Amino acid sequence: MKTSRVLWSVLSVLLLGSMLMAACAPAAAPTAAPADTAAPAATSAPAATVAPAATTAPAATTAAKPAATGSFLDRAMAGEFKGTTVTATGPFVDQDAQKFAATMADFQAKTGITIQYQGSKEFEASIKAAMDAGNAPDVIDFPQPGLLASFAKQGKITDLSKQLDVAAVKANYNPYWIDQSMMPGKDGTPIMAGIWERVNGKGFVYYPKKAFDAAGYKVPTTFAELTTLEDQMVKDGSTPWCIGIESGAATGWVATDWIENIMLRTTTPENYDAWVAGKLPFSSPEVTNAAKIMASIWQNPKYVYGGTATIVKTSFGDSTLPMFDAKGPKCFMNMNGNFITSFFPATAKAGVDYGAFYFPPIDPKYGSPMEVAGDIWGATNTKPEVMAVMQYFTKAEHLKVWMQQGGAIAPQKDADLSWYGSDIDRVVGGAIVNAGTLRFDGSDAMPGAVGAGTFWKEMTSFVSGAEDLPTALKNIDASWPK
Amino acid sequence: MKSKFAGSLLVNGMLAVICLLWTIPTFGLLVSSFRDRIDVNTSGWWTIFPHQDWVSVQEVTPDASVNRDVPMTFKADSGTSVTAPFEQLQIGVEKDGYRFQWIGNRRVGYLEIQKYTWTSNTNFTLENYKQVLSSGNYTAALKDGTTETALGDNMTHAFLNSVAVAVPATVIPIALAAFAAYGFAWMKFPGRKMLFALVVGLLVIPLQIALIPILKDYVALHVNGTFLAVWLAHTGFGLPLATYLMFNYISELPRDILEAAFVDGASHFTIFTQLIVPLSVPALASFAIFQFLWVWNDYLVALIFIGASPTNQLITQRLAEIVGSRGQDWHLLTAGAFITMILPLAVFFGLQRYFVRGMMAGSVKG
Repeated sequence: MKTSRVLWSVLSVLLLGSMLMAACAPAAAPTAAPADTAAPAATSAPAATVAPAATTAPAATTAAKPAATGSFLDRAMAGEFKGTTVTATGPFVDQDAQKFAATMADFQAKTGITIQYQGSKEFEASIKAAMDAGNAPDVIDFPQPGLLASFAKQGKITDLSKQLDVAAVKANYNPYWIDQSMMPGKDGTPIMAGIWERVNGKGFVYYPKKAFDAAGYKVPTTFAELTTLEDQMVKDGSTPWCIGIESGAATGWVATDWIENIMLRTTTPENYDAWVAGKLPFSSPEVTNAAKIMASIWQNPKYVYGGTATIVKTSFGDSTLPMFDAKGPKCFMNMNGNFITSFFPATAKAGVDYGAFYFPPIDPKYGSPMEVAGDIWGATNTKPEVMAVMQYFTKAEHLKVWMQQGGAIAPQKDADLSWYGSDIDRVVGGAIVNAGTLRFDGSDAMPGAVGAGTFWKEMTSFVSGAEDLPTALKNIDASWPK
Repeated sequence: MKSKFAGSLLVNGMLAVICLLWTIPTFGLLVSSFRDRIDVNTSGWWTIFPHQDWVSVQEVTPDASVNRDVPMTFKADSGTSVTAPFEQLQIGVEKDGYRFQWIGNRRVGYLEIQKYTWTSNTNFTLENYKQVLSSGNYTAALKDGTTETALGDNMTHAFLNSVAVAVPATVIPIALAAFAAYGFAWMKFPGRKMLFALVVGLLVIPLQIALIPILKDYVALHVNGTFLAVWLAHTGFGLPLATYLMFNYISELPRDILEAAFVDGASHFTIFTQLIVPLSVPALASFAIFQFLWVWNDYLVALIFIGASPTNQLITQRLAEIVGSRGQDWHLLTAGAFITMILPLAVFFGLQRYFVRGMMAGSVKG
């Protein structure tokens, strides 16, 4: 019985302790949140020093007349919405969430609006539950437009074209981005459902710059040059490509990115759009040709580190590591989105240890098109402080700190390339701004059953050798929802 | 006698082998949690044990002017000399116990002279644990001597949050269930059987179907995102099973003791606190373990009712997030997993004897 008495007293102490903690926790939360967001601003020098006098000046002048009129952003900068809170959610957590807090610190300091961002790894599930329960935050970051479109159709998303100055928004974006933010609303008429805040460029080849340069290799600017380079590398006893497509349940998406990039370089943007819309089948000559060009690299055992068989077994992130082997690169090129750098060893420095080049055009007829993806923010209400935040997202200036810290590419035209902290981001950012043809990641825009289903799976089967190409493409066509 | 000894030896031996097999993956995980990300990626955790391998004893970087398209000559310090073309050196040329191995590209690589010898991989680091446990910015020393500032994952805070959720979410349902079980077992009131059947019937209702309705109510009551919300949810869904288990145990207690107490003039409350609770410690403790482990390991309820609020996040939520948006920090999972495991393991080993006893609580009629 003695032990049980000890047990009970321990339990009761624990219970009391946790009750106390819980009692303190809600009280502590509001004070802790601003402290968290303020901290990066204080520690990161760019936020404090870069903040240009030019932007503070208008804010100071408008602050003189508090009953300011004009756009939501002007009114916010005049301090009209001071003390309000805008809740936000999205899929990015940890470092990205910290960078977001840092990049929004300036806005919060100037407007007095508190932005409470709560990221979730299980974003899709938790945002659906929150929407159903009527508990959705004010602004939501969607990593893919599909989910935003489904909420827009349910009438849960604000039509920004009725709130913001559409002409000003249009002037600051490539028209393709504006097209991609128009989605059918509840009654079927298109609404402007979101604002593209930051984007990714895909189709860049990363390479270990130091060894690449030391070996005397030159960055290829045409597909023929790329092939010559590949063969030269093989002759020198190296493997040209690091390729891995394993990504848990999403295994295969790397292959879809390759095909999309090759499609854009070998056929017209109209054909690409028709393909994404389901009008050009996968078994068509255009798509088959793109897959064959991919296979000419992937299925050449001398071109791929570890051979073709390891492609489906290697995680897309780990596949980059042989480039940074302590004993020199084991393979020299990896094509991916710009987020891939977060998988590189922490010791690898951009511009020194690794560089990036644009995957060369294949058919010069189609120029240098660009495959993009991005984060689009939607709003769930029309509160003025929420609209001020949305309007702020349309200006590249809001992303300045994040661009400086690396990892964010601005789609806005007013982005200054000198804001990028790394040369690689600058290359990608410049390519996105200058690209004649922009196209969204096709598999993201296809119906989920294909774009996030059979396209991945069948490509994995094809790469692993379980199926031949015509069968794989035919299977994808068969799975397209009627 | 002898055969009995041999038999027990066989059984114990088998058990030992099974235990060993069962523990190997966990052990590998533990070892990996102390290793650098690049090390984990390039060599297995078992290489920490002494094993034989080719180990570099000398490195020769040929001058840039050396023509690498014709056979090259290399001489080791020991006097052994090898002349071979690049293609052979790339595979490795063995001579006098040495291996001449070309590393990397023909143009920028170098030659390693290796010896087959005993080696072990003992590059251990505490960085994984540091990053997982620290809050705010934290500075890590990198291999090349530079430092990197990263955001700590602050699992310490999440750990305390989890304690704050798990303890009340264990104690409240047990306390309520013990009262209820006593009522159902020893008090006579109309509708008792109906009510009890209702409670048992509730056992079959899965938690998942109630998530959204409860979330709606919580939002209306403004308790969403607080610990209270999670306590109530776990209490509600833990109660039917708790009541049922406690009923089975309490109703089996000898009637004589209770009758004697009644005759002596004890009230229901006195009997409950003085007799029933002390006698039911094994059942209480065993259910406490079950409930505690369930609440501690729960992810779904926490995700829905606490959401992603960084101040109130539980350890399971943190654990899911430390890998980063794209899984780039997978190497932290091992350290995070072991921190998450500590308390359940302590509870299990501390209350092990109740655990076994409790698994049979109410199931063996005496």
